[in-house]
Amino acid sequence: MSNNWLEKNTFHYSDFKDLFHLVEEKQKKNLQISLCLPTLNEEKTIAKEIIIMKSELMTRYPLVDEIVVIDSGSTDNTVEIAKSFGADVYDANQILPHLEKFKGKGENLWKALYITKGDIIVYIDADIKNIHHRFAYGLIGPLLLYDQIKYAKAFYDRPISIGKNKIRPTGGGRVTELVIRPLFSLFFPELTQILQPLSGEYAGYREVLEKLPFPIGYGVETSMILDIYEKWGLDVIAQVDLDRRIHRNQDTKALGRMSFAILKTFINRQKRSGLIDLKNNLYDEIIQYNLVDSQYQPAVSKIIGLERPPMIEIPEYCEKFNIKN
Amino acid sequence: MDKFLENLPTLVDEIKALKDIIITNIVLIGQTPAPTFKEKRRGIVFMERMAEFGVDEVTTDGYRNPIGIIRGTSPDKPPIFVVAHLDTFFDKDIVLNYTIKENTITGPGILDNSLGVGVLLSLPIIFKKLGMTFESDIVLAGTIQSIGKGNLRGVRHLLKTWTTPIRGSICIEGVDLGRLNYFSDGMIRGEISCSISEEKGAMHTYTPNAILILNEVINGIMRLSLPQRPRSRVVVGKISGGANHGKIAYDATLGFEIRSDSYKMVKSTYNDIKEIVDGIGHENEVDLNIKTISNLKAARLKFNHPLVKSTAAILKSLGIKPTSKSTESALSIFLSRNIPSVTLGITYGEYHYTNKATMEIEPMFKGIAQLIGVIKAIDGGVCDEQ
Repeated sequence: MSNNWLEKNTFHYSDFKDLFHLVEEKQKKNLQISLCLPTLNEEKTIAKEIIIMKSELMTRYPLVDEIVVIDSGSTDNTVEIAKSFGADVYDANQILPHLEKFKGKGENLWKALYITKGDIIVYIDADIKNIHHRFAYGLIGPLLLYDQIKYAKAFYDRPISIGKNKIRPTGGGRVTELVIRPLFSLFFPELTQILQPLSGEYAGYREVLEKLPFPIGYGVETSMILDIYEKWGLDVIAQVDLDRRIHRNQDTKALGRMSFAILKTFINRQKRSGLIDLKNNLYDEIIQYNLVDSQYQPAVSKIIGLERPPMIEIPEYCEKFNIKN
Repeated sequence: MDKFLENLPTLVDEIKALKDIIITNIVLIGQTPAPTFKEKRRGIVFMERMAEFGVDEVTTDGYRNPIGIIRGTSPDKPPIFVVAHLDTFFDKDIVLNYTIKENTITGPGILDNSLGVGVLLSLPIIFKKLGMTFESDIVLAGTIQSIGKGNLRGVRHLLKTWTTPIRGSICIEGVDLGRLNYFSDGMIRGEISCSISEEKGAMHTYTPNAILILNEVINGIMRLSLPQRPRSRVVVGKISGGANHGKIAYDATLGFEIRSDSYKMVKSTYNDIKEIVDGIGHENEVDLNIKTISNLKAARLKFNHPLVKSTAAILKSLGIKPTSKSTESALSIFLSRNIPSVTLGITYGEYHYTNKATMEIEPMFKGIAQLIGVIKAIDGGVCDEQ
């Protein structure tokens, strides 16, 4: 395996800090850019994300044309706060309402394709504590400045929050190191060059994203990489060092459920492509055990692993964007 | 001036239109750690933002105070300084995570003084959007090493090395809107530490207890007679020591502050406390030391100084009631160099020195309008008449 891709397609956000130049390129190419924030109870961080992105990438430099919040039914004040700071807020269930309703990040990202108008769509998690506009322009940069790049993915130094207000300088990425990297090494060693395949921040051209199926839950990041790699090859992908992202530290059981969904997405894809031959279907439940009153009791979580089809197969989408299949 | 005051309230809405940028500055600066003596990262963010906003010059002085300069139209007018201290009380490994809600921003250090620095950083773009120019150069400085043991070293150095005259200055503090500080008390902050040898065979028949020794010192301080005029007081503000409940304390430390209208009185009281410390240390045969952490000389403008009068009028024109108390901020350093100065607060807040420190967003726009009003007043010559 050659490391060519790693050297050629890895960037640092500071390579793109000349925002004036990015705006010029965007205007020259006559492109529109949408920023999408998927939310579920993010009242503590959503306003900060909207206000910083709006100030720096809309008011000061017209790089982003719209900020869209797709909410999965928050029960806190996420929706009201997001609206009050000027974002376009949508309830995921009200987008393409005739379709069966699902809840999950992947579902929101998929529906954002229908709602947004941009030629480039930037997806940023809404729970970033140390949000900075580099999270957006760092991902937009390679898409505007390198013609062959169609999809850009973030990687970070990942300190994790421990306790209420302390951080530990390194850590996180456990699912990447224990699940994804071994899988990629076994099946697609080239993909191990993607340093944080599970990072929640990425941007891509609509012409690419609309042709991808979207798992509704955790598997969406893995599936995007696998599908883009299969359809267009690794060279259309870039990865960008966004420096530091402070995030919540999830407990091991939550990571277990995440890993289950990712493994299922991965195996189903390889089964479809004929790389793996399974005699039976995979199960839909992860069983984890808790010690309750000196007894081990199973906790069963259902993770079906549903996927939305490529958006370009949805008639309403084709009509809205005037696409003739 | 009257016409200017009449128009001042209309500025509030124009400033409010820049809300996103102002809040972004507050958050970006506030989320960059800057404990006293370790302000380098915040200083870099300060300079980057200043450069992005297109000020004419971005630099640091020899002490690494970051500075942005907006050139004035009249080269012969001395500059106007606007300063806010960069350092905060919080460690660098604390998550400086700010939360924005509809009318508040919450986070460690926001009131002291990330809000002040964020507003300072926003001034160049506010001036630009409002089409404002000044005769004087406007020097926007984020001063380092202000708090506690920093002892205002940053601003002291900045002024010591600034060789040309300064027309006037404004010190920005986060809270409270309405504060109009124009005088500062004389002040010494000190620390008394007691240490008892743990070595076996030390000379004591009964091992003394460091906490009880300090208790004797406190009793001694309480017996001091302090005058009503000049107004003077001693505050015992911090105490720590000992290891656990059942063990004699071998080490203990006491923090105190002496304040007075007269610095001579402050020094005299300090000497009295030093004598108490020397005496108790000698009699108990313990290692008992006193040291100065920081000090300030008393300095003031008169209430009828044109800068004070104009500032009060500006506040009133915006419907803000001015309140005046002594302050131990950069103001005293400017005043001690005979530079007319005031300290202003920007908005209201609560939980000042905690992780839950919270500022109100809406009043901030008035706070910025008053700041611009006072800069305009100094540029119009209110400090030149004295």
